[in-house]
Amino acid sequence: MSVVGSVVGFMIQTLAVSSIYILVAIGLSITLGTLKFVNFAHAAMYLAGVYIGLGIALELQFSGDIARSIGLGNVGLDLGFLAALAIIPIITFGLGLLMERFVARPFYDRPDTDQILVTFGILLIVQELIRAFVGGRSLTFSRPAWAEGAISLGPLGTYASWRLAIIGITSVLVLAVYLYIEYTDVGLAVRAGTEDTEMVNLLGVRATRPFLVIFGVGSGLAGAAGVVGGPVFSVVPEVGVGVLVPAFLVVVVGGVGSIVGSVVGGLLIGAVEVGLVMNAPTWSSVGIYALAAVVLLVRPAGLMGAVEVDE
Amino acid sequence: MAENDTQSRRDVLKTAGAAGTVGLAGLAGCLEGGNGNGNGNGNGNGGDGGSEYPALGNYPIEGDAATLGFNVPQTGPYQEEGADELRAYELAADHLNNGGGWVDLWDDLSGDGVNGYEIDYETGDTATDADTARESASRMIERDNAIMYSGGSSSATAIAQQGLAQQENVLFMCCLTHSNDTTGGDCVRYGFREMFNAYMTGQALAPIVTEEYGDDLEFYQLYADYTWGQTQQASMRQFFEEAGWSEVDSVPTPLGTDDYSTFLQEAVDSGADVLFLNHYGLDGSNSVSQAVDQGINEDMEIVVPLYNVPMAAGAGGSIEGVFGTDGWDANLDNEPTRVFAEAFEEEYGSTPSSPARLAYSATMQYAAAVERAGTFYPPEVIRELEGYEWDNGGIGEEIMRECDHQTMRDILVVRGLSEEEQDAESGRYWEVVEQASYPDAVGYECDSGPAAECELGEYGDE
Repeated sequence: MSVVGSVVGFMIQTLAVSSIYILVAIGLSITLGTLKFVNFAHAAMYLAGVYIGLGIALELQFSGDIARSIGLGNVGLDLGFLAALAIIPIITFGLGLLMERFVARPFYDRPDTDQILVTFGILLIVQELIRAFVGGRSLTFSRPAWAEGAISLGPLGTYASWRLAIIGITSVLVLAVYLYIEYTDVGLAVRAGTEDTEMVNLLGVRATRPFLVIFGVGSGLAGAAGVVGGPVFSVVPEVGVGVLVPAFLVVVVGGVGSIVGSVVGGLLIGAVEVGLVMNAPTWSSVGIYALAAVVLLVRPAGLMGAVEVDE
Repeated sequence: MAENDTQSRRDVLKTAGAAGTVGLAGLAGCLEGGNGNGNGNGNGNGGDGGSEYPALGNYPIEGDAATLGFNVPQTGPYQEEGADELRAYELAADHLNNGGGWVDLWDDLSGDGVNGYEIDYETGDTATDADTARESASRMIERDNAIMYSGGSSSATAIAQQGLAQQENVLFMCCLTHSNDTTGGDCVRYGFREMFNAYMTGQALAPIVTEEYGDDLEFYQLYADYTWGQTQQASMRQFFEEAGWSEVDSVPTPLGTDDYSTFLQEAVDSGADVLFLNHYGLDGSNSVSQAVDQGINEDMEIVVPLYNVPMAAGAGGSIEGVFGTDGWDANLDNEPTRVFAEAFEEEYGSTPSSPARLAYSATMQYAAAVERAGTFYPPEVIRELEGYEWDNGGIGEEIMRECDHQTMRDILVVRGLSEEEQDAESGRYWEVVEQASYPDAVGYECDSGPAAECELGEYGDE
């Protein structure tokens, strides 16, 4: 393979690995930047995306202990993947609004440790509820027929069609959210709030509503990540925690409150992971933690962030 | 040091308890005018009251019930195998107490408990992690007074647990563990394994796969980066290179990897003809599914050396045409298989997997050995298991070797079916290409293979 081919192949692989992390990280980052709220329950939205999405696209098998005891069988709308991709962000947007109102808001003024404890607890509760109803075994989230198989890009290698589709879907979603925040009044209030919430309030702008909306948007993205990630990662209750950790590292590396930071952080994390797999596979799982540690040492606010993670 | 202290403290308590039990039993006999429980029913349990053998490990058993520990992965990449194992363990305990299943087929078992004791059990979650497994097993020994415990998947957890078994003089019946080290360099007197190992998989697989795909091919290996994956890739390399193939590269992947795409891309770029995916459980489902997604099966042949049903179910149609091995199949045509599969289906509404059969069999083997020994005293039970031969486990004739506690037995070489041909209801995901038999196709002497590195350790009554 030529050098150009190797480099482009590396970039495609990095994009494919990074996409899901970025989608989940954006919501985490915005919530942390605007509301100063550490929301580990954000990964529950990913879980909602995976499991509800599976029920919408195909069929969800309820084989957990509680489901068995009450005779709950299989439930599925079989509407197809695109329908799930369209409906899930709306559902998780709504769930995000509920979470903001009933979980996040009472904890805005509480210490980070309280926020971490309650949101991580909620994630675990959701995870175990899924186990109780759906069961702990891995489910198959079939990719849509139009994205099955592999595509050969000549000297750049052969890639799973679905991986390339994920890159495309992620790009569209991230661009849409970026434009929304950059060019709308809601986005302006959010950006101003990220810089100085107190000043925004003093200027007479009610920041609560834009923050609420942006909380929902972040949740919608995480839900969408669940739908596009379902056919790639295992569909098991623990997958929420599995996705949360690298997504949080993306926020740490990219910087809090910045969409561009999340994208840059996600790409860096992906590049390190892919690079290590190619050259030192035994270090691949620890490499991203090392990267996060180095970034925290050199730039505590992250590469693109204005607020330090521990502030 | 702390563990030694704990052990000796418990031993002292056990000895004192045994002495007290003997005295109290006599007193109870006077007060109740006869024996009031299984301990004094005149069937030889007096030995377990402490009169015949000294206290050792959790022997003698206190009370009317013998507690077994079932320590399986309920979380982590091998949780599906663990869930099926747990179902089988619970079924085995039920059959030992109430009859049914293999208890009705095996002469050694009565269906009225074991050696006069009701069988009770505690369960634990190893989380597919060696340290967690050891801690959980330790709780079973210390808190629950388990007289035997069993579990497995992964091999790292099995090896950690059997090391503890040897230290604490409490028997560990291995369930799903396929590393050569379990009955090789890490073997112990207090551990027994019915599962075959990676070495035997290599012996069974190489002749059939090389005949199918041709001579002089190049292969690339991805392997789970812990004892099982390491020994399996070594065995694959040994037997396929002996058969004329050559290894291009062999790359470790962390246990629990979600995304194999980059590893797989490297495999494609290597130009090798065949890809070995030495992954298991969820990892195995993921890696083979992602390999097929990535179109690797168009350029390379894929081999998954160790299969099981939950893994095949997770991978779906991706396993079409993929060779591998398994220890048992619920669709085999023999009486023990039929009896176990029917009992399992009746209880749980699903077809048992090979890990489930291993769990069931490990419990039954232990119980039968106790009955033959007439005591739970661990060294006597060990001696009953060593060299024991049986043919009523659903996979032909088997022998538990005395030299390394490795069962010599047949192995199924299987090949995955297409999604249309698969039948989840009957657990049919592959065709059995061959039942590689011991000693003709698989097996090794006590001074060769993994056994050459095995030193079992002491019985505890020397």
